[in-house]
Amino acid sequence: MIAMDIISDGLFAAVAAMGFGAISDPPLRAFPYIALLAAVGHATRYCLMTFLGVDIATASLAAAFVIGTGSVWCGKRVFCPMTTLYIPALLPMVPGTYAYKTVFSMIMFFQDINSPTQGSQYLQSMIFNGAVSFSVLFMLAVGATLPVFLLREKANSMTRGSKFL
Amino acid sequence: MTQEYVTEIADFISRYLSFMLGAGVHTSRVIRNSKRIGEALGVDVHIYTSQKTAALTVAEPGGTNMDTRVIEIPAYPISFEWNADLSALSWAAYDRKMSLDEIRTKFDGIVSKPKMSPVFVLLMASLANAAFCRLFGGDHWAMLVTFTSTLIGFFTRQHLARKRVNNYIVFVVSAFVASLCASSSLSLGLETAEIALATSVLYLVPGVPLINGIIDITDGHIQIGITRIVNAFMLIVCIAIGMSATLMLVKDSLL
Repeated sequence: MIAMDIISDGLFAAVAAMGFGAISDPPLRAFPYIALLAAVGHATRYCLMTFLGVDIATASLAAAFVIGTGSVWCGKRVFCPMTTLYIPALLPMVPGTYAYKTVFSMIMFFQDINSPTQGSQYLQSMIFNGAVSFSVLFMLAVGATLPVFLLREKANSMTRGSKFL
Repeated sequence: MTQEYVTEIADFISRYLSFMLGAGVHTSRVIRNSKRIGEALGVDVHIYTSQKTAALTVAEPGGTNMDTRVIEIPAYPISFEWNADLSALSWAAYDRKMSLDEIRTKFDGIVSKPKMSPVFVLLMASLANAAFCRLFGGDHWAMLVTFTSTLIGFFTRQHLARKRVNNYIVFVVSAFVASLCASSSLSLGLETAEIALATSVLYLVPGVPLINGIIDITDGHIQIGITRIVNAFMLIVCIAIGMSATLMLVKDSLL
């Protein structure tokens, strides 16, 4: 059952990444690797959060780092720069529900601006959700960019000798 | 090396530069690749970039011939394919010692390649958002609602973008349309209606400028990095505005 959960989590993340990737017009050869990276990354975050109780920001950082490192290996195989693989793969980890709750709380805060108890509750919820969404987004970007610095030589010659020119 | 040749190289590199920057490639890669092409052709290349313009100098090493110009960067849709293939072109030029004419022919071939069909992108994005809804814990019906509302919202976006409507307005309107369609799940009485509503606008998240901005800042191109992040942030605000409009309409059934 646990294995099923992890696999389905990865599977849906893969579909999401391929779809969001398609918006940015990637080369067709990149799709399988985008899917693979997204599945592995999202499943990593799922496992860290569900089984080890890691918080969402740290888990996102770890997962993004996995995706970034994986994209070095994948990029070399399909001659794509790392960013073209890891940006779509990161997108399924965007903290959508938190972002939504931030907006929703903001609106409710303005509706209840004259009621001190409810208004401040919504304000608190807005700051709470906003902080989570911002940190997760930031961690995703940083985590995936780290491998670029660690493996600079490799990262910069990803498309060398491309067979697809 | 004659002045004509230097000018010709500058002509080509300015095109290369504007296509890469316009299609959403992060700054240090664009500069690195342009310099590599310059090196392959035996000239020094120096570049200054900002959001909408770039300045380029192509100079003969140790000589007096040079060409300096300011280039306007057109806004192309983001293209990872150009990113990958134009980067590969710079390596090919460097490794195979290609001539300027050969490089130019390859370049024209790459940028005139047909793009992915918009209908295919539309379907893929909708499917992606439905899968995304599932990741947040939505049930099958919520997924279906998300799929449909993304389909309509993304179609709106494509249509408005084709009409060259202001980008911010495109984002506000398509976020509003998508979330309004998703709010139908409230009247359908779905258990996970709120998740459908939250997911329906996520296809608009500007992931590429956001991450490019972080990469640029950490690479030392802080100015353009901040510009990109501010730009992405503005788009996120637009999504929030579009969604707020829907939430204002349906907030009573959400409480």
